[in-house]
Amino acid sequence: MTALLATGLLAPLVLLAACLRPAWRPAVPAWLAVAPLPALAAALMALENDPVAVELPWLRLALALDFPGAILLGVSALLWSAGGLYAAAFLKRTTATLRFVVCWLLTLSGSLGVFMADDLVGFYLLFALASLPAYGLIAHDDEPTAWRAGAIYTAFTVLSEAFLLMGFVLLAAGDPTGSLRIGDVMAALPQSPWLNGAVTLTAIGFVLKIGLVPVHGWMPLAYAAAPVPAAAVLSGAGVKAGVIGFLRFLPFDSAMPVAGELLAVLGFFSAFYGVAIGLLQSRPASVLAYSSISQMGVIAAVLGMGLAAGNDSAPIAGSLYAAHHVLAKGALFLAIGVIAMTTAPRTAPTLFLATLVALGLGGLPLTGGALAKLAIKEPLGNGLAGTLANLSAAATTLLMVHFLVRLARSAAHEPPTVIPQAFLLSWRLVALAALFVPWLLYLASSGTVQAVLAPGALWDAAWPVVIGAVLAPAWVRWGSHMPRIPAGDVMGTIERVFRSSYAIGVAMERADHMLRRWPAAACSLVAIAVVLSAATI
Amino acid sequence: MSAVALALATNPGGYLLVLAIVLPVVGMLLSLVAGGRNAERIALALMPAGLGIALVIAFGVWREQAPLVYILGGWAPPLGIALRADGFSAVMLVTAALVVAAAGYFARPLFATPPQRAEARAPLAFWTLLQGLWAALNMVFLGGDLFNLYVALELLTFAAVPLVCLDGRPETLRAALRYLLFALIGSVFYLLGAALLYGSYGTLDIVLLAEGIRAAPVVAPATFAAGGLMTAGLLAKTALFPLHLWLPPAHANAPAPASAVLSALVVKGSFFLVVRLWFDVMPGLASDAAMGLLGALGSGAILFGSVLALRQRRLKLLIAYSTIAQVGYLFLMFPLAAGSEPWNGQAWNGGVMQALSHAFAKASMFLAAGLVAESLGHDRIADLRGIGHAMPMTLFAFGLGGLSLMGLPPSGGFTAKWLLLQATVEGGQWFWAAIVLCGGLLAGGYVYRVVAPALAASPLDVRASPSRGREGIVLALAIAALLLGFAPPGFLGLLQVGRAAIVP
Repeated sequence: MTALLATGLLAPLVLLAACLRPAWRPAVPAWLAVAPLPALAAALMALENDPVAVELPWLRLALALDFPGAILLGVSALLWSAGGLYAAAFLKRTTATLRFVVCWLLTLSGSLGVFMADDLVGFYLLFALASLPAYGLIAHDDEPTAWRAGAIYTAFTVLSEAFLLMGFVLLAAGDPTGSLRIGDVMAALPQSPWLNGAVTLTAIGFVLKIGLVPVHGWMPLAYAAAPVPAAAVLSGAGVKAGVIGFLRFLPFDSAMPVAGELLAVLGFFSAFYGVAIGLLQSRPASVLAYSSISQMGVIAAVLGMGLAAGNDSAPIAGSLYAAHHVLAKGALFLAIGVIAMTTAPRTAPTLFLATLVALGLGGLPLTGGALAKLAIKEPLGNGLAGTLANLSAAATTLLMVHFLVRLARSAAHEPPTVIPQAFLLSWRLVALAALFVPWLLYLASSGTVQAVLAPGALWDAAWPVVIGAVLAPAWVRWGSHMPRIPAGDVMGTIERVFRSSYAIGVAMERADHMLRRWPAAACSLVAIAVVLSAATI
Repeated sequence: MSAVALALATNPGGYLLVLAIVLPVVGMLLSLVAGGRNAERIALALMPAGLGIALVIAFGVWREQAPLVYILGGWAPPLGIALRADGFSAVMLVTAALVVAAAGYFARPLFATPPQRAEARAPLAFWTLLQGLWAALNMVFLGGDLFNLYVALELLTFAAVPLVCLDGRPETLRAALRYLLFALIGSVFYLLGAALLYGSYGTLDIVLLAEGIRAAPVVAPATFAAGGLMTAGLLAKTALFPLHLWLPPAHANAPAPASAVLSALVVKGSFFLVVRLWFDVMPGLASDAAMGLLGALGSGAILFGSVLALRQRRLKLLIAYSTIAQVGYLFLMFPLAAGSEPWNGQAWNGGVMQALSHAFAKASMFLAAGLVAESLGHDRIADLRGIGHAMPMTLFAFGLGGLSLMGLPPSGGFTAKWLLLQATVEGGQWFWAAIVLCGGLLAGGYVYRVVAPALAASPLDVRASPSRGREGIVLALAIAALLLGFAPPGFLGLLQVGRAAIVP
């Protein structure tokens, strides 16, 4: 098991090492689909057996897989593998392949590793690896929109790293034994004098990663700029680095009502905000990105409610919901790529499958999405939170119909060159996985088929979809008259504010110019000598 | 034997300390005598030997868990002169040997004597000065008395200044002159302070002086003035904000290998002495206010240096301003590491780790910038788009160095920040934590400014690709900064050797 986990972590890096030799480089893309498979095997093993924990002292890394980690690792590895298949075919039609492959493999190793990390520093490293190199994937197309998206993405990533660093330092400081193992640190956290600071800073770091409102602006820009396979793995698997962060570092055994409810409010707000702005987007990729903001909002709400109540089943519920999102969102991004290369009547099978997956996000009965929704029912309860979650499912259904319409309109106009088989294979694989894999996970987490097929459960799953579906035709008919909001909505304002801070730089440059004159420097020198002497007395 | 008596007697292995200083001095003299191509041959041949000696010293300190001491000529201080190597000295010796060697091998094509001539001015000067600078650094790291250290400091300055203006262009001469003048003013301040101490205590040996200051019923008033004067002088040579007027032109205009050594090592030489002064000589005087002042200057350096780095148009100027910022972190050691709590020890380790990782990362980045400038004929950041395509290994090394500056794992920079931040938390000194985090964000900004456009696929005309070997040196330095992030606990223990005995 140790070997399998280590292989899962290192396989992408071995492939990366192969890139060092120019003669081997052309062969590497074909292996992109294989690199995540050891991790997939490790995840399956961990689901079969009990949770495992191993140490790799030569890397100063501790790895572990519990149930939430294993299912997220498993579905992410599946998506990365299918995405790798797509990417290999994509790379035959693009330039700068080496940069893409290197960034892909780095992001892959971080994105999978973060689910396995069992110590603070290792988690921080793998989280950074899952986030920063993705710049090269987002800014792959060398054009201004991609540069802007990449720059904004990087800024948010680095900001998230800074919050996490301080949060982790506080977490570590709270453990008197000096252990950095996540289990030890989290066990000591409730008694830590820095409990509130640690939870707040860590949570802010992960909120930035999963793109809750108001720090969501990078997401639509990044996913719209990234090439299809990159958008698929980043929106599906990449963003879950933030989700696993919440699962690992929120103290679910000790109730924190204020922090939990704050997170839930932020989550629900994002859930509806994402849908509202998503409806005003016309590019299918932007619509999906806003749907991601909304779905991450739902997960944050679930975890927030769990934290508020001290409900330690929330992580499992959240991970099941997130697992479905990995596959569904990944699949829909791949569908965009497939449709863009298919002419109108031949799009039908793809659109049919896409409809099932898309409506699954709203909770369409019998799809994987319905099971995901069932999983979060318990931590949300039947009160206001439960109702809001159902309404957000209805809203998501509406958004998904909007997406499907925009997707159908994005079909190719002229018969293009033949669509690569790898594109179709990859898309179908992930789509079917999105529909059926949640069943396996649901049954593995001791759910029963009867509970899903009970009339009450079917109705619960169905009515939000029905509401969304009823509203949809009206939106399709009149929605196009609504104003369009540019992707990233508030990002424009944030950029303006940020640019105005350049004035500080100008002022500091002027001050620097003054300080570097001889008289000023000589005065500083004397002043330092005098003040320092006085300060020691 | 008491700690003081131990520190005043040669112990086994102590002769290695003499060797560490004598070797580059002999090399320098031989180079001058033999001249021509021999200067280069001698310098390059002695570098591995020097590295070996440094490693043996570090191993000895680690094995004994006690400082190595050598009393010159058997004359005990205050009459004689002592050389001492504690954990901090030992790791600085190794770092200096590594960086000097890297810069030396990197510099071979730049400072080769032309084939048609027996001797050329610039190469001869470079190889002798490089060895002189190395000898001076080793003296600084090992010197056990304040006058001896003054001599070392002067030697360091006089070796460093001409390195700035080896090519003789007017702007480099101007930069070197500025450096020389300000460093000399700094020397005067230092010497004045040392004289005051000698007048009050009759010795300049660090151990005896510390004993004297500790044992004195009333601290002599001159001691306060001496502390302020010596520190101010050393800060001038360290280019701590706001005394950094000389650093950007000097470091940005020097030849790349010289810039690397200046930024990685020379500014740390005077910083090392500030540490010696406050932690070893006068720990009792390290009041919160004084240490806070040093921390505040360091914070100013972090913010100012980083923001200014964001605004530079030339790559080497950007790196030079980044040095100002990174030196700032070192001064957070003073408010955080002065004391005997466990978290003070963590802050100490964090500060030393910052000194080491910055040395490797910055040397790598300056050499990388040198390769870029050689290949393109300029180092304008706006025109570096696509350089990663042309020189992937160089850019990769630059990026790794940048990660260490940003404090991302795995790197020595991360370990340094982690330890410093832990100390701020446990010591309740939140202000410094905010500064450290801001500095990391700003570093992310200036590294991004270079690396992101460099990754672009747009074609770029490169005059000549750098040789694999020189790219390898740049990469090796960056990897050294990275490997520090994997340092085992025993390494952090080594940094503590010699520290605990002196803290009150």
